[in-house]
Amino acid sequence: MLLRASGLTHNRAYDLNSVTGAVQDDGGVPHGRLLVEFAEAVLGEDEEALARARAALRAAIGPAGLADAAGVVGLFNAIDRVADATGVPLEAEKAAASADFRAALGLDRFDVSARG
Amino acid sequence: MSELYASAPIAIRGDLAAAHTRAWERLGRPGTWWDGGQRAAIAAETRHAPSCALCRRRQEALSPAAIEGKHDSLGVLPEIVVEVVHRVRTDPARLSEGWFRRVITAGLTEEQYVETVSVVAHVVAIDTMTRGLGFDLLLLPQPEQGSPSRYRPAGAKPGGAWVPWLEPGDLTEQEAGIYPAGRPAANIMKAMSLVPDEVKSFFDIVSHQYQGPLEMRDFSREYRAIGHAQIELLAARVSVLNQCLY
Repeated sequence: MLLRASGLTHNRAYDLNSVTGAVQDDGGVPHGRLLVEFAEAVLGEDEEALARARAALRAAIGPAGLADAAGVVGLFNAIDRVADATGVPLEAEKAAASADFRAALGLDRFDVSARG
Repeated sequence: MSELYASAPIAIRGDLAAAHTRAWERLGRPGTWWDGGQRAAIAAETRHAPSCALCRRRQEALSPAAIEGKHDSLGVLPEIVVEVVHRVRTDPARLSEGWFRRVITAGLTEEQYVETVSVVAHVVAIDTMTRGLGFDLLLLPQPEQGSPSRYRPAGAKPGGAWVPWLEPGDLTEQEAGIYPAGRPAANIMKAMSLVPDEVKSFFDIVSHQYQGPLEMRDFSREYRAIGHAQIELLAARVSVLNQCLY
């Protein structure tokens, strides 16, 4: 939701399909493809792929950018677990604001309330 | 406070290193429902979980409930705590309210559950970042002696999550400051509020490793070496990979 809000603020159209891995370009986000590949590699188990993704991202955005990118990946890898383990629902206003792209991207299948 | 990354090959912002130092030291201290040794053991078990054969078999199964067995654990924690740590670490997208209720029925209190999840989350946040950067894992803290405070907020009650939570209007002086001023409290914060100290500690990390509640919505300027759109693309991609809607 904040990705779209950022785009609206700056009058830029980001391709939200980037978050599902359905597109292979930057999606309108600077170095978007490298960021996505880095996130995928950090959460994966292929050490060589991670080393390549890390080196490519560092070359593109510098060490400070890489450090902040790794921080965001780490943080959301954790906060997702808090959300999943506590059964926390989306806030009503966030649910309303994101309903269209959640449906378009098929994200509602991840709704914790749907789990038995 | 920034010794954690003093010799790291990539510089880590001082505020982030300090936040990690605070969080890491706290992992070995007596908490609210677990003592320092138990918290350190939960942290160690979090790291051990990915090598558990039972967890691997469950991850590959259509339903984790279909696979029975005993976890490969470090042997320090009760089995029900190991079950929580391993499932939250290795298969969070298939946790369900039914599973949570069975955990509570098996003897873990809701307060212990929230603190356990929080310790796992602290370790995952920091370990995932260091993995991303190619750093060695931080050494786990030495446990400190002392008793947990056993503080349960009087105003906690059933809300929208599986666990009871504190609405902002139910905060007492002892829980003051756990929610940001000037913005509604996010449900993810409320979800940890049964153990207020864990809200403070985890969202201290959030503010420095991601962005604070005001910064994340202030698109008029950038606060990190990467921009808002880049940050949110990473956040969204990770959440999709983790199959997490929130």
